[in-house]
Amino acid sequence: MKPIDALAKVCSDVRPAYPEEGVLGVLPRFVAAPAGVAEAAETMRAAAEHGLAVIARGMETRLDWGLPPQRCDLLLDTHRMDRIVEHAAGDLVVSAEAGTPIEKINAEVAAHGQRLSLDCPIFASSVGGTIATAAAGPRRLLYGAPRDLVIGLTVVRADGKIARSGGKVVKNVAGYDLGRLFAGSWGTLGLIVEATFRLHPVCEATAYVSAVLPDAAAAHEAVQAVLHSPVVPAAVECAAAPGGIEVCVMVEGVAAGVPARADRVSSLLGGADVAEEPPEWWGRYPDGTTLVEITAPPAALARASWLTGAATWSASGHGLLGLEAGPEQVTETVNELRAAHTAVVRYAPEPVRDALDVWGPVPALSLMRRVKDQFDPDHRLSPGRFVGGI
Amino acid sequence: MGEALTRLAERFTALLGADSVITDPVRLRTYECDGLTSHRATPGVVVLPGTAEQVAAVVRACVAEGVPYVARGSGTGLSGGALPRTDGVLIVTSRMRRILDIDIPNQRAVVEPGVINLDVTRAVRDQGYHFAPDPSSQQVCSVGGNVAENSGGAHCLKYGFTAHHVLACEVVTPDGEIVELTAGGPGYDLLGVFVGAEGTLGITTRITVRLTRLPETVQTLLAAFDSIESGGAAVSAIIGAGVVPAAVEMMDALSIEAAEAAVRCGYPPGAGAVLIVELDGPGSEVAHQFAEVERLCRAAGAFEVRIAAGDAERALIWRGRRSAFAAVGRISPAYLVQDGVIPRTSLPKVLARIDALSAESGVRVANVFHAGDGNLHPLVLFDDAEPGATERAEEVSGAILDLCIEHGGSITGEHGVGVDKSRYMPRMFTDTDLDTMQMVRCGFDPAGLCNPGKVFPTPRLCGEAPGVRKGVHPLVEQGKADLF
Amino acid sequence: MSAPEELPKLLGDCVHCGFCLPTCPTYVLWGEEMDSPRGRIHLMQQHQRGEPLSPAMVQHFDACLGCMACVTACPSGVQYDRLIELTRAEVEREHPHSAADRALRRAVFGLFPYPRRLRALRGPLRLYQRSGLDKVVRRTGVLERLSPSLAAMERLAPPLGRAPRLPERVSARGGRRATVGMLTGCVQREFFPGVNAATARVLAMEGCDVVIPRNQGCCGALSLHSGREDEARRFARRTIETFENVDVIVVNAAGCGSSMKEYARLLADDPAWAARAEALSARTRDLAEYLVELGPRAPRRPLPVTVAYHDACHLAHAQGVRSQPRALLAGIPELTVREIADPDVCCGSAGTYNLLQPGPAAELGDRKAANVRATGADVLVAANPGCVMQIADALGRQGAPMAVAHTAEILDASLRGLGPDGFRTPLS
Repeated sequence: MKPIDALAKVCSDVRPAYPEEGVLGVLPRFVAAPAGVAEAAETMRAAAEHGLAVIARGMETRLDWGLPPQRCDLLLDTHRMDRIVEHAAGDLVVSAEAGTPIEKINAEVAAHGQRLSLDCPIFASSVGGTIATAAAGPRRLLYGAPRDLVIGLTVVRADGKIARSGGKVVKNVAGYDLGRLFAGSWGTLGLIVEATFRLHPVCEATAYVSAVLPDAAAAHEAVQAVLHSPVVPAAVECAAAPGGIEVCVMVEGVAAGVPARADRVSSLLGGADVAEEPPEWWGRYPDGTTLVEITAPPAALARASWLTGAATWSASGHGLLGLEAGPEQVTETVNELRAAHTAVVRYAPEPVRDALDVWGPVPALSLMRRVKDQFDPDHRLSPGRFVGGI
Repeated sequence: MGEALTRLAERFTALLGADSVITDPVRLRTYECDGLTSHRATPGVVVLPGTAEQVAAVVRACVAEGVPYVARGSGTGLSGGALPRTDGVLIVTSRMRRILDIDIPNQRAVVEPGVINLDVTRAVRDQGYHFAPDPSSQQVCSVGGNVAENSGGAHCLKYGFTAHHVLACEVVTPDGEIVELTAGGPGYDLLGVFVGAEGTLGITTRITVRLTRLPETVQTLLAAFDSIESGGAAVSAIIGAGVVPAAVEMMDALSIEAAEAAVRCGYPPGAGAVLIVELDGPGSEVAHQFAEVERLCRAAGAFEVRIAAGDAERALIWRGRRSAFAAVGRISPAYLVQDGVIPRTSLPKVLARIDALSAESGVRVANVFHAGDGNLHPLVLFDDAEPGATERAEEVSGAILDLCIEHGGSITGEHGVGVDKSRYMPRMFTDTDLDTMQMVRCGFDPAGLCNPGKVFPTPRLCGEAPGVRKGVHPLVEQGKADLF
Repeated sequence: MSAPEELPKLLGDCVHCGFCLPTCPTYVLWGEEMDSPRGRIHLMQQHQRGEPLSPAMVQHFDACLGCMACVTACPSGVQYDRLIELTRAEVEREHPHSAADRALRRAVFGLFPYPRRLRALRGPLRLYQRSGLDKVVRRTGVLERLSPSLAAMERLAPPLGRAPRLPERVSARGGRRATVGMLTGCVQREFFPGVNAATARVLAMEGCDVVIPRNQGCCGALSLHSGREDEARRFARRTIETFENVDVIVVNAAGCGSSMKEYARLLADDPAWAARAEALSARTRDLAEYLVELGPRAPRRPLPVTVAYHDACHLAHAQGVRSQPRALLAGIPELTVREIADPDVCCGSAGTYNLLQPGPAAELGDRKAANVRATGADVLVAANPGCVMQIADALGRQGAPMAVAHTAEILDASLRGLGPDGFRTPLS
């Protein structure tokens, strides 16, 4: 049997790929869009039997991130897997299939005064894509990233078997936490098909307190003052702004408490504006053809000379730098950043990608390869997209 | 002692010095169990390394001899996660107990694995910080053990577990390499899976923990109810109102009786259940929500609500709860502690079923639990001197775990699977689920020497590709392993 | 209950939770299970099941300081104090220590419980200290090489002043509120006579007639805590006889107070003495405990000084007296009380421990001294002569001598309006 027939036999939506469906220029042969977990598993099994290289596609918000695949036979599209499987409102837990946009979850649970406290810097990111890329936004400071909010994960393995870890309760230490392992694994270990998240109650009130500080050192002092105070900010973000660096602190909570906390932040920032809406740059990726993500301890802000132009910094220790430059200049900038921090190039034009090491140095790489070899011994899942050629 | 162990003991003495190696059988026996005494095994050799390099050297020596090894911290685990191997080496981290760095601007501290959990908080409290995971054994358990077990505690309802508070670990891998695993770096989140792997993926030798700002205000109340049901209703009402308490704890009449006997905590007499609710955070926030919590408790039928007026009164309220496990020793010669989790909304149903189980079997069950996250700690009481009592208690204990699984919960919320609950894992997970988890283990520890026999009921043979059978493996033939 | 019946029951109380570990001084030092209370209980269980008392096992029992911090920490109510006493008694009976060890033990137990013998030592010690020779001797370490234990005794001897002789009765000032007996102790009486004088004055100023029987002897604390139970019983009977006709016996040495509170149990099997022992135990009070019960009457005068208060194990753990001394100190105007880090961990003095196990005792002393220094206090306050000697010695070794005082001396200074300059700095 030809691969496309084998796929069509188990999956209700299979077709040859269109020319514009390439993943960073690598054109897949087929696109399969299974209608649910069981179908996805059968599709993966068929792909295994035919030795097909598989890349998962959700809402296509980060498909052009990372490195191009070494090969791609099957694009496994999850958009038909978009059911909210269960919302246990009394338990503050929701389960959804991988293709479900995060916004859809929030719309569903909002009716019960709840929310998934995960910011999506790109509108309509899917559950699977968000987990696979470990994407998070400003509120990571208080609520964490996907690794912290996923409490159960169902995946389809390279061999087509369905495996589950975690569960539907927040407190659970039975077995290894594959949710954390798969968070940020870029589709190289298996296909994420369903996830269970813990939810939080929606806050009654939110305030954004902003001030522009003259430079990084001053911004650092201000951020430190807020972090070491007991106001419990949900997020503290910085961005390059005219006249220096704008620091914006998000405070959320009960209506009776937020104004006092916002006032306190305002005085810690040396007098600041309190608004109900965030500044325009809040929770977005900065503009540019290249996006660099920087990871460093919070105090790195003091010497963040890179925080100019299209750049933001989260007090959780994550920076984003948008660049509009050629390979040499980007390489120079990235190398400078890597002298002191971890810096990963999220996306970049092909000449830039070719000129530098997108992922940068990776500790414990050999251990990662061994784990990869266990999950995907034939290296068929998103081959070459990840660190060290994984 | 076998030949391999004898050779290893000599090697360790050369590497670490004689005062860091224990071979005397009487001394070895004191290490035969951790906090779970129902499983015992005298280790072949005990070593007490002082540095990561020594741990790595010990591990390499074990690997060279094909001898299994187990790491142990303070030995307080409640699932036998640090149960030694009679044919193996026990690596004890109790001498690696330096706090290496406290970095307040970056809200983190770097500690060795033997550092006691509470000592981290003690070291930073004056600067307004704490290490948030607070297992009941926090005054004695080690941070390395917390990492292995992904320890939680009463306040993890709001603050999360150890996994959320560890930023990096230096790890001696099962092949004796020293690597640094970090959260948020490029590549797989190996730290995420290492934390909570119960010591089966390596031994951590240095831990960078997140420090959390101490809350401005802490408010604690104790509410007494006639029954567990009305207490449970109060919990549902509180969570339903959108309050995220720092902790919500409940005790039933039997556990109150035990705590009263042990520490004279003075809980309201005649209570069928007491609920402890603690809120913390910014003052204005807490004041508002605390009034709401108090109202909801009364509305659910609390016949007495006590509000702690200060730290001393708060400590008094917590004293009963914190002592509950050990206190049960005063009302029963022996007991089993379970650690099952259920969705919070199933609490009334499951507790009623536990009551029924207890009545049918005649085995007393005291209930102490983290009500906010549905983590039950049923204490199954029995007299180990009475023939058949242990078996009956274990039966009830197992039936309670079945109830948890039936209601979509977990067999363990914070104690870990260890050796105690590995046999229940197949009730919660399919063979494929377990096989998939073990792929991680095979990646880290293909030889299967690092804390073998824990977590998983049956080891996976790492040489085998999943789903592909290549003749019968000798271990399968001997009945020592199964293929999935 | 006799030991063979009592032991298995007591051992069964331990649930192996490990809460005792971080409070145990030897576990703090060595991090080994066998040198923790939980490990020692495990060893006792092994012995109970037939494992003989090997030198290895006895070594770990000997290493226990008997500080009882573990008793305080234990949530299951394990009576480790009783367990180690029973075990020590058995070790004494069954397991002969080495000849050198035996000689040392004989010397210690033949000296410290006998005030007159201690007094006889005072002359030579005093000469020796005055001559300045002691510093030379200490520097050369000759004593250390000869015998670490003798060296420990030498270092612990505080500089001796003129020892005032207390009268048999001190009358209450300003209207009598009570009549109390006072135990003068052995080491306290001979090495810290000022403490006894201060205790008597404070009690008198607070309205107590203080009866100080001349013929009192050792209370038996050192013997009791070292497993020499017969010897301890002899001392106990004599002490009971001496104090039978007072309502309250006030004790200013923590070790003595705790052993007197144990008389009831010590003599429970002796029909002739059980009731008398129980009555005496019930009437025994630590000085601070008693003063708080009595309530302050005498006016406190300001004492502008910062003190670090040290919990003596036999006060805090054995008698549960923690808040009272702090309350008394806090009641003095202009006095600041600082807490010492790791207050539960013993200073290493522990009765005869610093004589019998000088190595670990010195290490523990060093740790305690470092924590005491970190408080930045001017004066170290403790209610046990052993602790004071031990910590003062360690502070001296660290080149940071600090004034030391008993709670009674601080109160005395405040009640009499003396300044803060009168407190001794030993070994400076």
